[in-house]
Amino acid sequence: MRLETRGNCLEAEKFLALNLQPPTSIDLHEGLVMPYALWFQKAGKEALNLVGGKNASLGELIRADIPVPPGFSVTTEAYQEFLIEGGIKENIEKILSPIGLQDVASLEEASQTIRELIRTTPLPKGIEEVICSNYQALSQVCEVTDIPVAVRSSATAEDLPGASFAGQQDTFLWVRGDKEVLAKIKSCMSSLFTARAISYRIKMGFPHEKVLISVGVQKIVDARAAGVMFTLDPLNGDPSKVVIEGNWGLGETVVSGQVNPDKFVVDKVTKEIQRTISQKWTECIFDPEKGMVCHLDIPHGRQEVQCIEDNEILELARYARRIEEYYRSPQDIEWAIDKDKPFPLNIFLVQSRPETVWSQQKKEPVLGKKSAYDLLMEKALQRIKIQS
Amino acid sequence: MPLEVEYSKELEGWEEMYPPMYIFSKDRKEWEEKQFWFHDKIHAPEAMYPLDLIFQEAWQISLSQYTTRVFCIPPAQGIAQRMVGCYMYITPVAPPPPEIIGEKAGLFQKRVFYVFDHYDELWGLWLKKFKALGEEMNSIKVPEDFPKFEPDDTVFPEPRGYYTSYDVIDAWDRLVDLMIKGWQFHFQYLNLAYLAYLMFADTCRKLFPGIGESTIGKLVAGAWVQMFRPEEELCRLARLAAPIKEVAKIVKSDASPKAKIEALRKTAEGNDWLVEYEKSKDPWFFVSCGSGWFHYEGSWTTKLEIPFGYLKGYIERIERGEKVERDLPKIDKARAELAEEYRKLIKTDEDRKSFDDVYKAVRTIYKYAEDHLFWVEHWFHTIWFEKVREFGQLLVKNGMLKGVDDIYLFNRFEVPILIEDMVTTWALGVDVPSRSQYWQAKTEKRKKILEAAKKWTPIPALGTPPEEIAEPFTVMLWGITTDKVQDWLKGMAVVPKDVTELKGFASSAGIVEGKVRVVKLLEDITKIEQGDILVCPTTNPAWAPVFTKIKASITDIGGLTSHAAIVCREYGVPSVTGTGIATNVLKTGDIVKVDGNTGIVKILKRA
Repeated sequence: MRLETRGNCLEAEKFLALNLQPPTSIDLHEGLVMPYALWFQKAGKEALNLVGGKNASLGELIRADIPVPPGFSVTTEAYQEFLIEGGIKENIEKILSPIGLQDVASLEEASQTIRELIRTTPLPKGIEEVICSNYQALSQVCEVTDIPVAVRSSATAEDLPGASFAGQQDTFLWVRGDKEVLAKIKSCMSSLFTARAISYRIKMGFPHEKVLISVGVQKIVDARAAGVMFTLDPLNGDPSKVVIEGNWGLGETVVSGQVNPDKFVVDKVTKEIQRTISQKWTECIFDPEKGMVCHLDIPHGRQEVQCIEDNEILELARYARRIEEYYRSPQDIEWAIDKDKPFPLNIFLVQSRPETVWSQQKKEPVLGKKSAYDLLMEKALQRIKIQS
Repeated sequence: MPLEVEYSKELEGWEEMYPPMYIFSKDRKEWEEKQFWFHDKIHAPEAMYPLDLIFQEAWQISLSQYTTRVFCIPPAQGIAQRMVGCYMYITPVAPPPPEIIGEKAGLFQKRVFYVFDHYDELWGLWLKKFKALGEEMNSIKVPEDFPKFEPDDTVFPEPRGYYTSYDVIDAWDRLVDLMIKGWQFHFQYLNLAYLAYLMFADTCRKLFPGIGESTIGKLVAGAWVQMFRPEEELCRLARLAAPIKEVAKIVKSDASPKAKIEALRKTAEGNDWLVEYEKSKDPWFFVSCGSGWFHYEGSWTTKLEIPFGYLKGYIERIERGEKVERDLPKIDKARAELAEEYRKLIKTDEDRKSFDDVYKAVRTIYKYAEDHLFWVEHWFHTIWFEKVREFGQLLVKNGMLKGVDDIYLFNRFEVPILIEDMVTTWALGVDVPSRSQYWQAKTEKRKKILEAAKKWTPIPALGTPPEEIAEPFTVMLWGITTDKVQDWLKGMAVVPKDVTELKGFASSAGIVEGKVRVVKLLEDITKIEQGDILVCPTTNPAWAPVFTKIKASITDIGGLTSHAAIVCREYGVPSVTGTGIATNVLKTGDIVKVDGNTGIVKILKRA
């Protein structure tokens, strides 16, 4: 039998067994008090304002029966409450109001000041408690004390079609323990005020106070290999292909373009795989001795070894299709293969967002509304150029 | 340049074996040097016997005229042929001037669309016409020998007025005439079928830029194809024989086919089975053991041990409870589902509509490419070879030639001279010499030339590379692309032992490693063991039963719609076709990796 529900859902069931109740239900229409934290599966696109684009998309993936590592969002409500209760909201507005695009030096200075302000202002006790209890619940569910998590920002104006804020906020990998988790959550919040983010908002005309931030706290996949995939061929827009790129270790080397990844083009219909195995010189892994994520050289013997198995490739492609069908638009997806779990339980999808190049194009018929006879005539008149 | 080719001394005199227009000549030098001539490995991979050239002569005329004068594919012209040291070279003729293209476009539209609209009924008419032609050829009576005196019944009550001398001359003339005519029919819809295929392939690539060639082939391939009937008939006969112990035992025995038939005659059940056998035999055993292009390939009818060998295997498999038949409805359903899956991925309704229209058009007419093959290259050619053999026997009986197949050393214009010499000698009375010594000396000389030619490696191409090609067969059948032209231009003679990798068409997906079995002649297929990788010049329906045994196939010749490609896709066996040199480079026992996804064969270990 295939285990369709795993990762998050499986662990969510454990919640009930453990009699924990962090996944607060929300009803957005009744104007109830908004929660500070929400489990991914509880918040989909309807909760965009509360959990941001990235986290909402994880919620959607879980609803589409996609294996997503478990975790929760620290909501924009928590962020706003923090600014108000911490008494820094007005300060920030004051610092930002005179800033113009031309003034690079003061932009940088404002950024520094605001980020320092956020870092040094403690989170309100109530919010801290909610975060810590959720984090402990996550650890308990995963059966690991102080489960290592990825802490990522998820802004409300991010990842929306046409508003590519991607990569403008921070990601922290392998964060462990209450104290670290809280610190990194604040760092993520402060990433809304990097000089780049501020100037981008000014340029695009987004009011600073309208762009809120949520933070995702998600169990990290200790990845044997990871990478990205597209539900069409990004080179030529071919809708019948899934293109998967991957490298050994965590996905950061692929996302940031540090290595030439292995590339697999899978035909959605025939399931044929075309593969390009690259020489992959470095991987990003967690070093338990240093207690941090490091780049390590890949030994020669492993550099040109295909980083994922064929059955994993096909399973990833299957999920890619499902996600694309769920969203009804081409997607750009991040995935990871767990080091220890057996296939197919080792496959996790950690993010999905709309593909931005081909899906922005107008859906013009490529055959120009032609009949078979038109096309036959065209073909009959064609000459094939031979280059000498 | 064509006139500058250097031939070895042993080849001297090769030109006289072929008609004069086949030889590069000073009088046509200017035109000939402007063309790009390449060795036609599909139709003439080996040194050409003069009489086997008749099929080539016939297609040069017929293929070309349909493109230039009948269906008028606007920018395309015909394909011209030349002989170079016993090997055939061809060139797609450059496009005509613009005004001709314009005129042709009008005719194309009017005529070609008509054919597409009426194809199903037109196919019925074609088949009727073609079968009648074959029957006519089959009915030609070649006198077994010359009578000492014409019998009484040719004199009374009214002298016939013409006698055996004329009968022999006439029989040859009619035989040749019918072959030329059959080949006129061969191309009746083939150019259009290829054009439709190319149009469909273009359409698929516009919609799905990365779609595999083999997938396009799969989408178009039909399940109910006449070319597979011989194999289906064997399955039918095996099914009939299996439950009847006596019959099954005889068919499976090691006796010769002739002895088996005699033994079957002795029992009622055996006779019943033989009635069914005869029904299948004509026409479905009229299938060449090769491509149908060469007299030395033989056919099931001349090599009965081949169909009987298959029958034995099929009966044994039926007895083990295995299924021997191809599941045609299932194959067809798989194709329909494949098409539907791709169709669903099309993004706009307009494109879906165009795709549906194009798919219907290609599915309608492409059947011709699959169906004509059995009737022309196999059935019709098998009849031809049987008749020519009768002439060979007559010439041997009358001391003109020493071997029956020696007739193939003379081209179709020379055979009538031989025949005339023979009938004249008979007519002149007794004790009159013919020029048999002259003919036999020629035979010996030509045999030597052909032997030398087999050892000579023809260069891939001559002349000037074209700037563009519009001729559909050149694109479809020979797959001429910039890359191919470049490869030929490099023109290097391959040193088999230096080759580590072969490239061909990715005809059937999948990757396997295994041991090579090189099979050049059908007789050798009995040597194939379970799990071998078949390496052969080309395959055809006569080979079909081996595909259940092999792990992969590699051929010298043939594209994505070649027989090997189609069958391998059905059996899920990886295949790389059209490598050009596999049978030269690989030896039985070599270990190779066949990648049917990329069309690459890697040699891992030499035997």
